[in-house]
Amino acid sequence: MPTIAGSEKSEEVSLLSEDTISTPKKLKSRQRIAVSNLRTPDKEVKQDSHENLAVDSLSDCLGSESRDEDQMRAVKEALHVSKAPSTIVCREDEHRRVFEFVKGCLDQQKAGSLYICGCPGTGKSLSIEKVVKQVGDWSKQACLPPVDTLSVNCTSLTKTADIFSKILEIVEPVKEDNCYSSPLHRLQSLFSQKQDSSSRMMLIIADEMDFLITKDRGVLHDLFMLTIFPFSTCILIGVANAIDLADRFLPKLKSLNCKPMVITFPAYSKDQILRILQERLMVLPYVAFQSNALELCARKVAAASGDMRKALSVCRSAIEILEIDIRGSPGPESQGPTPDNPVVRMDHMAAALSKTFKSPVVDTIQTLPQHQQIIICSAAKAFRGSKKDATIGELNKLYLEICKSRVISPAGITEFTNMCTVLNDQGILKFGQARGNKLKRVSLRVDESDITFALQGVRFFRNCLL
Amino acid sequence: MGNENPAEKALNLIRGRLCDPTFVFRPLSASSDSNYSKLKFIVSTSVTEGCNNSILLLGPRGSGKAAVLDLVVGDLMEEYPDSVTLISLNGLLHSEDNCAFKEIARQLCMEHHLLFSKMASFDENSQFIIAMLRECGLAHKTIIFVLDEFDMFAQASYSRGKQRLLYSLLDAMQSVTSQAVVVGISSRLDADQLLEKRVRSRFSHRKILFLPPSREEIDSLLEHLLSLPADSSFPSGYVSQFNEKIKNITSDTRFKDMLKTFLNANSTVNSLLKFIFRAVSSMNLESGLLSLENFKTALSSMQRQPKLEAVRADCSILELYLLVCMRRLEVKEQSSYNFISVMKEYKTIHDSFQTSDFYAQNVCLRAFEHLREREVICYAENRGQSQAGEYRSMKLLISASELHQGMRSHACCPAILLKLLDH
Repeated sequence: MPTIAGSEKSEEVSLLSEDTISTPKKLKSRQRIAVSNLRTPDKEVKQDSHENLAVDSLSDCLGSESRDEDQMRAVKEALHVSKAPSTIVCREDEHRRVFEFVKGCLDQQKAGSLYICGCPGTGKSLSIEKVVKQVGDWSKQACLPPVDTLSVNCTSLTKTADIFSKILEIVEPVKEDNCYSSPLHRLQSLFSQKQDSSSRMMLIIADEMDFLITKDRGVLHDLFMLTIFPFSTCILIGVANAIDLADRFLPKLKSLNCKPMVITFPAYSKDQILRILQERLMVLPYVAFQSNALELCARKVAAASGDMRKALSVCRSAIEILEIDIRGSPGPESQGPTPDNPVVRMDHMAAALSKTFKSPVVDTIQTLPQHQQIIICSAAKAFRGSKKDATIGELNKLYLEICKSRVISPAGITEFTNMCTVLNDQGILKFGQARGNKLKRVSLRVDESDITFALQGVRFFRNCLL
Repeated sequence: MGNENPAEKALNLIRGRLCDPTFVFRPLSASSDSNYSKLKFIVSTSVTEGCNNSILLLGPRGSGKAAVLDLVVGDLMEEYPDSVTLISLNGLLHSEDNCAFKEIARQLCMEHHLLFSKMASFDENSQFIIAMLRECGLAHKTIIFVLDEFDMFAQASYSRGKQRLLYSLLDAMQSVTSQAVVVGISSRLDADQLLEKRVRSRFSHRKILFLPPSREEIDSLLEHLLSLPADSSFPSGYVSQFNEKIKNITSDTRFKDMLKTFLNANSTVNSLLKFIFRAVSSMNLESGLLSLENFKTALSSMQRQPKLEAVRADCSILELYLLVCMRRLEVKEQSSYNFISVMKEYKTIHDSFQTSDFYAQNVCLRAFEHLREREVICYAENRGQSQAGEYRSMKLLISASELHQGMRSHACCPAILLKLLDH
């Protein structure tokens, strides 16, 4: 044990004291980036856990616990968002269409543009990565010249026009002397002249493309126009969330009859989510989830948004609840029904779902101090009709009325204003702008039904809100 | 010497405890269901297993969110030295993207003893951060990003609603190469609704709610804070006497009522600590023991009503008359009134009730000015400055109930005034 830990430490120290400088092209600052190819060994960590097992196999309890922990860890890893599976299920159709498009462009050595849209969490970036790999393999097989790929996440650009310089770096790796023209003009002039036949096709992938939208929409427009030039060699794939981005922001392209092809990635349905989760869990040799728990999760997430990340997060949360369950009841109970194979049941999944989907507002309102609850009630009563906001002074009057009718001594105006500020901080009330304190306009941010639901247990408030 | 020293020492000890958040929140870490253990579980699994996570701490101000997070991070740094790096940002200072990236790069440089250049551009900073994340991921060191005032990051107006910093941080959580945890602290309950849908999809929707403590928790907290330890530095008789007195006070029903009144207005842990601090500070050093009166004075000092005190302590009978006249005018639905109309009402009262306090106009004017200086009344609007003070419309800055209470507790308020007010 000590030797392993010692060597781990020494490796880490050496990692940080190396000052080999990695030089990105424009490194003017004096930041020294410590880059080394030493990986602190994965095997060390694994050896550690094996040691754990060896030491703890003396007592059964501890042995089963660390085995459980390893199991839990493996399941959580299998369900982590960053672990991309090797084959993508439920997106075969879209994957095929994108691949056909790229293949078509490469076959005819023509430029083209494609726009991919869909809600977040529907597998767009994942599919694109797979397509890029597939294209690379295919072009090698078909003995075509290799395709250059540029994958840019547009949120990382400081200026939107930087994307053109990035494209230029790949098209023309050797800079010529006339760097007076902007990268865009250079690209446009390059694509208008016939180049030598050894020029390669370039695949440009612009992720989160709506960051390129500027006020005059120039950059987005120019980017798509690059594919229209007679001798252009780039295949552009844009990814964003808005379905009608092409229509709204690129009207001129329609007039030139070269609108990009649009592929929509629809949100996942319940069956698709279920299938994806099962695929991920197939790599494990044991059953970690009861099937009805998985189905409950898929149903709920599909009804809400169809976002795969959310489904994975809910499953991981359910595993954590299971872990806490096991940990919190050591000893005899772990040797009960399933000593070796803890399984996520419906109640764990239901708890995880409620944690994720429930808004904390109801819980908070239930635990607020009494005077603040009275303030919320008076606001709910005041804003029932068409009136949606009032000044603090008016709200105070209502508050005093309620207090008087139930014989509670009300708080003074200063304390009332303080309590309203606290509620504003929490996002239950909303303050408007005003100069004086009493003239500030207050409106309710929470639904009245939430308030009624939260306070239904107390008779006083039930009568209040009648 | 003698009795003074233990009392002073005890006072210092207790006051020190109240100001130290680690001490206050430590007993909460004992129970397995508390927020501390939930948070610790999530962050420590990220440290040990290398999976990324993001989490949001929600609760009203002063409920101990930052304190519990500090406790957790401190404990983790002890358990896994050299494996945890802490980067903290605040939404009030760093909500702009440039600023935030610079600050993250600066803190990373400080932690790993690298040189930081202030001239580094945004691009260079972000490349550096990405490289550092990758390196730390390979070295199995976890970076904990703490974003205080999380809703400010989501609402920054200069980034045109694009939330670039949040997107980059949460996107980094999605990749295999980095090992990091993002902890957001906010007092807005709907903080995650403020996020853009892309950013919200990458956020793992874990929320820990900090609710006000229950009665049992408050009782145990009081005992934990106020009992003296059986230390050798205190005379043992004194310690048992002190603790006995504390037990008597806390089980007294009057104390329980007082606590209930206090908690009905404000139930966060922070305000409770302030209340106890004031009570302890007014401890009688002669006897060296706390008493119920200390808590009573603390309660009244925390629930001050300044305008009421202005009326009760400061106003003369004439001024009270003027205030009652203004109130009666308000009740009669006269939306705006000035000094002249108040004088008319005053005269009407005098005529109908034959009161003995009838003063001339200039005396009344002086009383009026006095009231205005005390900010019990004020001019209704700021225009019309050229008009003489008597013709400008006025309004009351004190509510009817406060006026009523102030007059009732006034030393020598004539009974007729109260009758006139109630009317």
